[in-house]
Amino acid sequence: MAQFEDEATQTLFKKNLITAKQSDQIKEYRRLAIFSLYSELKLMLYLSVLLFTSGIGILIYQNIDSIEHVVILSLLLLITICCFYFCFKNSKGFQKEESGFENPLWQYLVLAATLLSCIFVGYIQFQYTLFGTHYGLATLIPTIISFFCAYYFDHKGVLTIAVTGLAAYIGLSVSPQALLSNNLYSTATLSYSAILLGALLIAWTVYSAKIHLKAHFNFIFLTYALHLISIATINNLFDNWLMAAILLSVSSYYFYKTSYQIPSVSLFAFTIIYAYIGLNLLLFKFLIFVRADNFYEIILLASPFYIIVSIILFIGLIKNFNKHKANDRIR
Amino acid sequence: MIAYDKNLLKNTFLVTEAKALEKARFITKEQFQNAVKALPALKSQHNILIRSGFFILGVFLYSSVSGVLALFGLVNVDLAIGLVYLFAAIGLVGSELLARQKYYGFGLDDAFILGTQFALGIAVTFSTEGNILVITGTVTIAALMMYLRYVHLPSMVVFFLALTATLAYAVFDLLAYGKAILPFAMMLFAVGMYVAGVQLLKKLTEPFYHNGILLIRNFSLVLFYLSGNYFVVRELSAAMADTYYDYSPEIPLSWFFWCFTFIIPVLYIVFALQNKNRMLLWIGFLAFCFSIFSFRNYHHVLPTEFALTLGGLFLFAFTYFSIKKIKNNATGFTFKPDRFDNSNALLNVETLIIASTFDLKPAIKAEESPMEFGDGGFSGGGSGGSF
Repeated sequence: MAQFEDEATQTLFKKNLITAKQSDQIKEYRRLAIFSLYSELKLMLYLSVLLFTSGIGILIYQNIDSIEHVVILSLLLLITICCFYFCFKNSKGFQKEESGFENPLWQYLVLAATLLSCIFVGYIQFQYTLFGTHYGLATLIPTIISFFCAYYFDHKGVLTIAVTGLAAYIGLSVSPQALLSNNLYSTATLSYSAILLGALLIAWTVYSAKIHLKAHFNFIFLTYALHLISIATINNLFDNWLMAAILLSVSSYYFYKTSYQIPSVSLFAFTIIYAYIGLNLLLFKFLIFVRADNFYEIILLASPFYIIVSIILFIGLIKNFNKHKANDRIR
Repeated sequence: MIAYDKNLLKNTFLVTEAKALEKARFITKEQFQNAVKALPALKSQHNILIRSGFFILGVFLYSSVSGVLALFGLVNVDLAIGLVYLFAAIGLVGSELLARQKYYGFGLDDAFILGTQFALGIAVTFSTEGNILVITGTVTIAALMMYLRYVHLPSMVVFFLALTATLAYAVFDLLAYGKAILPFAMMLFAVGMYVAGVQLLKKLTEPFYHNGILLIRNFSLVLFYLSGNYFVVRELSAAMADTYYDYSPEIPLSWFFWCFTFIIPVLYIVFALQNKNRMLLWIGFLAFCFSIFSFRNYHHVLPTEFALTLGGLFLFAFTYFSIKKIKNNATGFTFKPDRFDNSNALLNVETLIIASTFDLKPAIKAEESPMEFGDGGFSGGGSGGSF
């Protein structure tokens, strides 16, 4: 590989696209032959945390009725406290902007501590029903712990756990009623709570952007909000189509604008994909409505042109995105 | 041979290099933009998400064009086989047109190029009534031709897989002792491909086929490991012997395959570290994980939970000390991030993998405390599509 990269740099230099000084710098840097194991070692740390916590999880699950559960519980508590102790010791304390640790190692310890405390809470809830029969609380407390850790230690991974926990909590508190009512109704209710949660997350990003609180978290919140709202509305396009179509178009417009502001390619792409799926579903519904099977030949003939037009439109959208965000072009 | 204008293709490589330099903060954004303006290049999508989006649109386009033609062909059933060949021809025409329009790795061209190979495979299946050797052979040749013409990396993957399948099937079916020597034949084939790849790399003067040959080299390393892996050999030979009840029978030369299973990954990792070959390091690491899986599949030395917990602890300690050791190196091995983030695409996906595994968390939690189990469905469903 190296030979062609050097050649390419040389060609760029010959074409006067980079300066002689830069060319020398690049050559010198390449001569150092740096072999960075940064990502690999980080991935191994992550793997070790994942292995350890799932091992502990299974261990506890299997010994849940045995006499040793007090021992296991106290051991788990001890390990969790140890992890948290090291995390707090090495952290720079709470900061409103992006902070993190000097050594990425501690990031993974935060992750381990959070996962272990979630397991701990789940365990005491199961064994002692500490939160009584209010099962929602058993999800809410790990969620709160995760949110605290995410914000205190500035950890995006833990933040995703927290948001999923929140979604689970909302799914939970809605669902017992789902058993009482019929299935269709409950799905609709769940969709509405999903949309509501999405709206709540968006509101939170707007607020935290205003008070400059961890602005780099907004991307994660928005990603969740986009998927929650879009999937829920698309699911509802079949039953309650007018309402869902309005909601989907409003949210798509909002996310389209936001993707320009951040700027974020993935938000941009997913927004367009969801909007396109929604549009096609509506078109499909319309075709069924007008009994299109009577003239299916025409539709079949028109389909390539429809797709070509959509491709041209998509390319146009991407070009527009690139024009506005010349620095973060989609390449 | 190459469908694209060579200068444009070269410029595409140069722009990629300029982007890498810009990312590594060696040149400024303005310089990069000047380079983009000065070097007219082919139309590509480097963002995997958008490229897959266009790939799906391309598949729609391909199938709708084919559908229109099928509409006319429906009248005559005898033409059905010819129709599938026609689909392949449409794919070829589409690929050629897109190449003329300077689409290179855009997503649309991927759909047509891969679609052609797929349609051709189906067509040959129909006309030979399922002669596997002919089918895989045809696909092999088609994929290689299309790779050479469109410099299309995914075609190289198809080529390698189809070639492997062809050879494996030929050895298995045509030779008298084919079944017994299959692992060794595959090993030999892998070594041959690797050597061929190395030789070709040495002779290469233009960068176009560089990545494709690298791909062949790495795939043959994976194939070499898999063809001697105890688990693969034992399960495959049991599956092919048609005497597969509950438990696959022990294979002859098991000591050899066990040694192979464990020595090869270690050798890969050692060589990777010696030669600073990142891809080989990844292959070695994954192979090592697979070896552990193979071993645990037959010998249950430790209960799963202890194995996981202890494995996690050991891995953490190992990584901790490795980081400590190489943390401040300025050359060679180091824990400092490389300015050239060119390691491989796998690493870029890393954050995504991490985020999606974190997402599974509520589902795992639900298993631990059965009360929450009732509604794991929603959280799982909601999060499943989230990334």
